[in-house]
Amino acid sequence: MSATASRIRLWVTGLGLVTPLGVGVETTWARLVRGDRAIRAITRFDVAGQRVGVAGEVDGVEVPAVGWSRTTAMAATAAEEALRSARLDVRRRRVGLVVGGTTGGMFETELLLARLHGEPGCRELLVGMGSHPLTSTGDRLDERLGPFVRVRTLASACSSGANALVVAAGWLLAGDVDAVVAGASDGLCRLTVSGFNALGATDPEACRPFDRRRRGTSLGEGAGFLVIERAESARARGAEPVAELAGWAVGSEAHHITNPAPDGAVVASLVERAVKRAGLCARDIDYVNAHGTGTPLNDAMEAAALARALGPEMARIPVSSSKAQIGHTLGAAGAIEAVITALAVARSTLVPTAGLDEPDPSLGLVHVPHVGRAASPVRAALSNAFGFGGMDTVLVFADPGRGREAEDDPAEKRLAPPASLRPSPTVITGAAVFGACGLLGTEACGALLDRRFDPDARVDPDAYLDATRARRLDRAARLGAVVVARALGEAGGEDLATGLVLGSAFGNVDGSAAFMHRISEKGARSASPAEFPNLVPSSPVGHVSIYAGLGGPAFATADLATSGESAFAQAVQLIAAGEAARVVAGAVEAKGDIVERILTPLFAHASSQAGAPRSDIAAVVVVESEAEARRRGARLVASVRQTLEWRGDAPAWKDLAAPRGQRSEVVLARADGGSEPFLGASAWRGFARLLCAPAVGESDGLGAVALAVAVGRIATNLADEVLVLGLAQDRGYAIVLARGYG
Amino acid sequence: MSSAQLRSEVKRIIVTELNLKGRDPESIEDDAPLFGSGLGLDSLDALQLAMVVEEQLGVRIPEGDEARQIFQSVRTIADHVAKVQSG
Repeated sequence: MSATASRIRLWVTGLGLVTPLGVGVETTWARLVRGDRAIRAITRFDVAGQRVGVAGEVDGVEVPAVGWSRTTAMAATAAEEALRSARLDVRRRRVGLVVGGTTGGMFETELLLARLHGEPGCRELLVGMGSHPLTSTGDRLDERLGPFVRVRTLASACSSGANALVVAAGWLLAGDVDAVVAGASDGLCRLTVSGFNALGATDPEACRPFDRRRRGTSLGEGAGFLVIERAESARARGAEPVAELAGWAVGSEAHHITNPAPDGAVVASLVERAVKRAGLCARDIDYVNAHGTGTPLNDAMEAAALARALGPEMARIPVSSSKAQIGHTLGAAGAIEAVITALAVARSTLVPTAGLDEPDPSLGLVHVPHVGRAASPVRAALSNAFGFGGMDTVLVFADPGRGREAEDDPAEKRLAPPASLRPSPTVITGAAVFGACGLLGTEACGALLDRRFDPDARVDPDAYLDATRARRLDRAARLGAVVVARALGEAGGEDLATGLVLGSAFGNVDGSAAFMHRISEKGARSASPAEFPNLVPSSPVGHVSIYAGLGGPAFATADLATSGESAFAQAVQLIAAGEAARVVAGAVEAKGDIVERILTPLFAHASSQAGAPRSDIAAVVVVESEAEARRRGARLVASVRQTLEWRGDAPAWKDLAAPRGQRSEVVLARADGGSEPFLGASAWRGFARLLCAPAVGESDGLGAVALAVAVGRIATNLADEVLVLGLAQDRGYAIVLARGYG
Repeated sequence: MSSAQLRSEVKRIIVTELNLKGRDPESIEDDAPLFGSGLGLDSLDALQLAMVVEEQLGVRIPEGDEARQIFQSVRTIADHVAKVQSG
């Protein structure tokens, strides 16, 4: 049997779209091919005083109930279409849900935020904040379309949608699920329109990617979802593939928070890796659906990257950008454009770059101007997505029929995945906590819970940072930069490919409120270009990856008060899937007034969460493939014995491993009545339960502290095995760390 | 405001608004290049500076090549502001 014959293939079996061109895949596709453009004067809100007031708006999707945002409504419509077209019954299979995004319910809450910033006492309409968290989209989808066996919410700015598919692919390759509904949704809002205008990144007219007159992008909104399955499992239920998700690669430029690295070297290496992962070479690629924002810098960088990666084949491979027709849908773009690229393969049809009257000769690209056309055939195609902070992702979709030829073809280009991409058990090589307790490394984390929280203690990240290099970092990013540097110092070793996953329950809500307040007081021209990138949920991750020079996959996760646990679980899954040899994972939560007064109480799980003295907290652990850690001679501090996560009535809890010895402990974020039903009936009931909140203060990031404490207690021989049980509203995580390997 | 005062004001804005912590505003030379090799500012700083100059000094910085000329140094910024204010 050849290497390719044993390759696990992932089929796309369902698609769903909501775009400014229409609701539904077929409407959008027909209009895309025709070259229709949906960029128009914004009607959803007042754009008086804005530099640019055009964008792609979605019509025909209604918000069904309180607690829903436009973002969520579009997501539900697209995800439902994807499930329907895949004929997938989520109750009969193990189906996961991955939702990417950046704005969440911002459109619904931004005027309220502006007001809350100006009137701190105002508490009216707080129920309106219920749709604010990024997590609320996944929660509503789980209620309406689920139950799903696993739900992940992630953000990496404008590559969120593409990263949702990377996460889905990892779960499928690991065999954790039979199918995944993965995609992203982002609603247009005043905050993003003001922010992109402030950055001078928008064209006053509909954007013109690749045109010599291009002046910027046009914003848009929408949702795209795909059903992805392992081929053998899809075949067994009689499903047909639309296309194969054949390859992907994700990495970080570690260059600049808003500007791409001009040489495109990182993007080029990702294109090479994604094509290689697909078992293909440049000669097999017949189309590129570009990120193609229409900004002078992006399009030049992207063209340079494609030339660098695909070489002379770029004289043959047509490139187009759908953003001239639907706008840049930000967090949703990677998913919407993945759907379009899968369709281009399935239908052997190229979609155009509308408005491309004068192609920029310096880009050296082959275009599909104005209208789409048939191509015979599109064997494989790339979809690119690049986000603020230089978080880049490349996807490869291929004709699923190509496998038969490939398996007979012994040509050396059909390579098995490189060793670094093979799955591996995971270990922990370091931990760090930064907060009122000071900055603690691995061993000190073991004794952290002996302390008592001092609410007056100053948390000063600037004492640890280079003032010039850190000048753009907001408080959360500063906390993150300090704790990540310390944890990496504990783990040792130089590795540019280190990934970073940081959880945050609500993101920079107070920063968004201040930004909106300023605009409402002083007008749109007062929107701060330097502040805007710090409002994106993945901003701390982007800043830290730049500050620390990390080149691996980087994104934020959100899961209310278990965001740190979700980041950890995701890091373990990224390593298991071979996406990175090591990932720094945890949570960063800067104290914030609106979070403290409104969001945390609104989404509280334990009564002890509300009203307790709060603190800034950053805590991370270094998760590493055991093979890689051994290869570099690292100290293996703990092994990851088990990672469980669930929604609702905790079906996964019954799989929890029993403690293997007497020196076992349970670490909890806080005194939480909700943990008793879990622990009281488990083999862990008789063991010590340690609480983090009394030592470090209350925070939504305590789950990451609990993980660092667990690592520290194993490192200092206080315990052989530690269960971290993290609970939040209707969701939970159980993570077992242990001494001993292999 | 005298032209020297105006230059001092521009320096203060640069240090405060671009968060150049620990930098003494008066240590910035009037004719030193601000971008690239000089103070090490970049295009995102230029956008922030344009927004703040408009808000605090009431003078709009045009976009594109014209902005590049104006943003060469503290002196060119102050000269532009003085020219617009007196015009």
